[in-house]
Amino acid sequence: MNTPLNSSPRPAGRKRAALAALVALLSSALLITSARPAQAAYTQIEGSGSTWSQGIVAQWISDVDANGMKIAYNGAGSSQGRKDFASNVTDFGITEIPYQGKDEFGAVDTAGNREFAYMPIVAGGTAFTYQVKVGGKPIKDLRLSGDTIAKIFTNKITNWNDAAITKDNNGRKLPSLTIVPVVRSDGSGTTAQFTAWLDKQFPSIWQPYFGKTGLTSYYPKKSGTKTISAAGSDQVMNTISGSAGNGTIGYVEYSYPVNKKYPVVKLLNKAGYFVEPTQYNVAVALTKAQINSDPSSQAYLTSILDGVYTSTDNRAYPLSSYSYMLLPTGAKDQRMTTSKRQTLADFMFYSLCEGQSKAGPYGYSPLPLNLVQAGFDQLKKLSVADPAVDFKDRDVTKCNNPTFVAGNLSKNKLAEIAPQPPACDKVGAGPCGTATGTAPTTPEAAKGADTPAGAAAPGEAPVAGAAPEAAPVIDPETGVAAPAAASTTGEAAVAVPTELASGRPGDAKVFGALAAIELIIIVLAPGVGAVYFRRRARRKLGAVS
Amino acid sequence: MSILRPREIASLLLAGLLVVLMVTGNSSSATAASTSAQVSSAADGGAFSASKTITRVVKGLDGADDQVDSRSFTLNVDHTVNLRGRERVGISWSGAHPSGARAADPYGENGLNQEYPVVIMQCRGIDNPSLPAAQQLRPETCWTTSRQQRSQATDPSLAVWMHDAKASDEDRQLKSGLRDLPAECSDAATDATHTTPFVAASGKVYAACSGSTMPPEAAVGAAFPPAELSAYSDANGSGSVNFEVRSATENESLGCSNTTPCSIVAVPIMGISCDDDDYQCRREGRFEAGSSNFANEGVVPSVSPQYWWSASNWDNRVTAPLTFGLPPDACAVLDKRAPTAFYGSELMNQASLQWAPAYCLNQKRFKFQHNRIGDDPAYVLVENGQAPAAFVSGTREIEDKTTRIGYAPTAVTGFAVGFVIDEPNNAGERTQLNLNARLIAKLLTQSYTGSSRGQQRPGIEKNPLSLNLDPEFIALNPGLDRIDREAAATVLSLSESSDVIKSLTAYLESDPEAKRFISGTPDPWGMVVNPSYKALKLPTSEFPLRDTFVPTSSLECYIQNPAPYFSQLASPVNSITKIASAVLDAWPNVQTKCDRPNAGDPFKVGRVERQGIGTRFMLGIVSLGDAERYGLRTAALQTSSNVSPSSQFTSAADRRFVAPSTESLTAAVKLAKDKGSRSAFDLTQPMLRKQPAAYPGTMVVYTTAKLRGLDKGEAKKVSEFIKIATNEGQTPGSGNGQLPDGYLPIRKTGATAALYASAQRVAKLIAEQREPAAPATPKPSKPAAAAQPPVASAPAEVAPAAAAPGSTPTDSVVATDATVATAAQSSGPAGVLLPLLIGLAVLAGLGGPVTRLVHTWRSR
Repeated sequence: MNTPLNSSPRPAGRKRAALAALVALLSSALLITSARPAQAAYTQIEGSGSTWSQGIVAQWISDVDANGMKIAYNGAGSSQGRKDFASNVTDFGITEIPYQGKDEFGAVDTAGNREFAYMPIVAGGTAFTYQVKVGGKPIKDLRLSGDTIAKIFTNKITNWNDAAITKDNNGRKLPSLTIVPVVRSDGSGTTAQFTAWLDKQFPSIWQPYFGKTGLTSYYPKKSGTKTISAAGSDQVMNTISGSAGNGTIGYVEYSYPVNKKYPVVKLLNKAGYFVEPTQYNVAVALTKAQINSDPSSQAYLTSILDGVYTSTDNRAYPLSSYSYMLLPTGAKDQRMTTSKRQTLADFMFYSLCEGQSKAGPYGYSPLPLNLVQAGFDQLKKLSVADPAVDFKDRDVTKCNNPTFVAGNLSKNKLAEIAPQPPACDKVGAGPCGTATGTAPTTPEAAKGADTPAGAAAPGEAPVAGAAPEAAPVIDPETGVAAPAAASTTGEAAVAVPTELASGRPGDAKVFGALAAIELIIIVLAPGVGAVYFRRRARRKLGAVS
Repeated sequence: MSILRPREIASLLLAGLLVVLMVTGNSSSATAASTSAQVSSAADGGAFSASKTITRVVKGLDGADDQVDSRSFTLNVDHTVNLRGRERVGISWSGAHPSGARAADPYGENGLNQEYPVVIMQCRGIDNPSLPAAQQLRPETCWTTSRQQRSQATDPSLAVWMHDAKASDEDRQLKSGLRDLPAECSDAATDATHTTPFVAASGKVYAACSGSTMPPEAAVGAAFPPAELSAYSDANGSGSVNFEVRSATENESLGCSNTTPCSIVAVPIMGISCDDDDYQCRREGRFEAGSSNFANEGVVPSVSPQYWWSASNWDNRVTAPLTFGLPPDACAVLDKRAPTAFYGSELMNQASLQWAPAYCLNQKRFKFQHNRIGDDPAYVLVENGQAPAAFVSGTREIEDKTTRIGYAPTAVTGFAVGFVIDEPNNAGERTQLNLNARLIAKLLTQSYTGSSRGQQRPGIEKNPLSLNLDPEFIALNPGLDRIDREAAATVLSLSESSDVIKSLTAYLESDPEAKRFISGTPDPWGMVVNPSYKALKLPTSEFPLRDTFVPTSSLECYIQNPAPYFSQLASPVNSITKIASAVLDAWPNVQTKCDRPNAGDPFKVGRVERQGIGTRFMLGIVSLGDAERYGLRTAALQTSSNVSPSSQFTSAADRRFVAPSTESLTAAVKLAKDKGSRSAFDLTQPMLRKQPAAYPGTMVVYTTAKLRGLDKGEAKKVSEFIKIATNEGQTPGSGNGQLPDGYLPIRKTGATAALYASAQRVAKLIAEQREPAAPATPKPSKPAAAAQPPVASAPAEVAPAAAAPGSTPTDSVVATDATVATAAQSSGPAGVLLPLLIGLAVLAGLGGPVTRLVHTWRSR
């Protein structure tokens, strides 16, 4: 019944034990378990980094679960993602910006000795979401120029009734309300994207505030200002959408306000239009991204976005950018094994192909095919590092992705079908009065939706009653805006312009009938009147005579 | 007598000790113990139990007797067969040495500074000397996440393993373990070094003497945390943990699979047996039993878990063999078929994960995919034709009255309040928690002040700081500590709109105590609702952050980072899965940490640290599927009370609390009433209250799709999905296509018969797509509320509660639109009257002259 658990508490001879151990070691080495199940071709991989792209990455991760791939991702911010990758804590990292060499605190920001490659995974727009209430109701169609944004986030413009904001909104003045900029407190790629744009486009505003040149991942918050900070995109969103959030404005990837049904700023582009970071406008803007196309460069596929900021396309959203994966390409990488590389390769194969098709609904923008192709070439480095990784038949040109133009690498279908912004979104026109933050999934919807139902997408319910296309009070010929309907009344009313429904189907008949009657009267009245008066005159004459 | 050397006496003693190994199945099959650690039956999951006498012998000096500490150690593992990766097994033990110096985090290297813990690890191989050496477990096949847990280099005076009574001659050398260390080890010649290499399943040997010579899966601070731990025993020497096992998928180097057996190894640390007068080796622990060591101070090496591999420690081990199930077949990544995406409810997460392979692996089926988004936006996608189907949990209004949408019951599951709470004095984890609706209401309405900063909030200064200080909570859950914590002042919840929040808030709304509290009536102890939430309209599918109070402070960091304090406490997140992992990690999402990395850096706010084991207290709203998957504990919710809402109480007497279980979900779903194919079943909180055995968090998830106007091909797929999901998809199990834990199977008969029948009916209607269009003349202005079930059937006495759900929560879109659009209101009568009147006026205008003319003509 009872058996000694361990029959040899002391080895009879220590040398023999050592020999046994050696044999054990050797034999286990020989036993390179050929019995591993075929299904276990995948091994769990781990990554950390960006919250900017976490919305779509999380969905991809749950999609590939069905393929047997287990992926753990921790949205700790891009800076942490780069750090974790460099110190071999993770198998991959996700970041919006490349390694910077040195971070703002002077600490090293490199991959150390780890061999790696950058691979773009998704595009998107850094959006400005806000809570500004007028008469208890949130404004949903705010427009701002980059200059105004820069001044807001450097505490130069501190009240929503500022003349610059009124001007951006074509004379529509907001009430007096303190502006509370909300920035990220953690090291963030979103902050880096935003400050890179500030640095390049508005150096005279940004650099004196920052105290130096260039971008930063840690937004500098000046004491004594209204600026507040929060950790992670989730918490920025909470801060803005909370009851205490009236007057706040912050920057997050477009997907966050989309999911929260929150409005975003329509940002002024160089063509003079205020545009939203829809998948279309982001795709258009990124056609101007200067992609490092030297495969021998460590910075291969990273982008210089200056051309994006200054794109003169009517549709371009200036703050568009890519999110990157840090791929461990070293053949001797200490964390990587064949099955881990296979998992990473197939996870990315799915994400770059099929996974891109859901970028739009989730508030991102799919990568154009040429970048997917280039990214996939980067991915192939995993099989160079380890020839046992299977890359057969993983053909990106045959991806199950409606946004690709089959057979034409350089075409960017989204950018081609992207609709032009409505005239009411031009400088000096409008505002359009249509709600933002809706992630349209069809060009029609993105255009401003003739059919409210078509405009709906995740995170949005149709705006009832509004017929946006017809709503703006604009002369269609000249593009000149008629004065806003309520601009002649008091200030409060200015902020909440009353938009007249452009047409009521029920009324058409009535007024049609009325018009017909009027026409009849107009046609008949002179004749009838003439006859009548002539007769009367004749009668009178007759009576006299 | 004196012929024997002390060391040999020790070994004789040991050999003479009765070593007991008893293996039992479940209580029923507790028959004979067998000769090895075999598990009785696979059917019951293979519960394991084994006992062993463990000893520490310290040589008597100057002729004194040897000091012998001997204990009977029993290890229990609740299930050991057919395990899946990341599955948690319940491990408990008794008879260990009481522990001291409890670490806040016992996992991996963080647990090393403890005294007398039980080291629990997963090792490749079986502990059976009759097996070939390659199949046996040994320290070299035991997984640790850090070098510090297996290889040590120290000043020789502290190298206690060299004095281990059972150590081999080799292990008594200055350098032992792996020889010929690689250069990375940078081993100092004067140090005493023992290296326990790790031998991977592939046979590769990792020197494990530095971070870079560890296997790839070993990384401190990775997204994938250590599972091995140094667990704490209470004053009686008992303890319990949930241990997460790893398969080859998660840990390739360890390599446990259906073909490579592994074991759980428990090494109860009672101190190294010493055969000489070495001071360090002979020491007892310096911390008292039951004490904590959150400052992570150094501990006495001879009783620390660091030397679990040292011969006398290792000999005290008890091992439970494990078997792993076949990994489920998975979809091929090269599958060219376009997926059909169903959108919606996160409640379906765990089921969707298991169901998806059952579709892709079958070429005759379509490729199913579940895109997780909020219930409301998912439904809108179906309504406007952008998605074929959506998972939602309640009837919704139809925007376009000509649309016909069917509701097919697909899963019975729900929400729970997940918790992780430690008993005081390191006595383990609280396993059962009672919550009534008023306590949840207090948490959600941010009526606990959290800290002295929150106490500045006017109107609630006198409220308890946190849940565990609330006399109501103490009455229902006696025996917990009274330490105030910010994390215990809140429950982590969703920031976005969800049917879960709607159902939860409907539960609060239907409860007289909670309702009165929110409406402003103080609780019997005088606690009042946070004024920002007073008379908050419930139910709501999105719980707002309403408190705007910014506390004042003299601290520089707070001055520079003024923020609404209560929003920082609550900090809801945008996915219910994130809540589950926060509870799993006992890492509150409270964002009140305010500091700076270095003196020159700017001050920043951020998330507080993970809670230390021993003082954890955290709650979160989780889905039942996630709770089961991650082994989270869930609170029992109050279903009935005979206590007046306004009277104080000191115990849970006269109240009934129901935890989520098959029985309580069945009791709930029995109440559901079929309301036809175009509506969810009627299962409101007022109805649930009538059945005290019913779990209030029960929710039915429906697949919704158009009954007309949907593409035929898509319609066929949705219909097929419903049929598969409600038939083979309801077989409980962990295999492909089966129903995971956390869901109540929908069956043809019994409590779920009506749901089943409805699902088949709706599946047929969806496939047919022949639902007649809406009548040309719809009934005059059918009120929206008519679509909401509660109004129709609410019992009279709960009418107020029932009326609220009827109010439409979706009016915000129109109401909050900044640009106020005038609605296209047409008046039918006016439309007719206007031309008529004009006609009349024209007639009248013409009439005068005409009559005159006629008159004049006549009079001629």
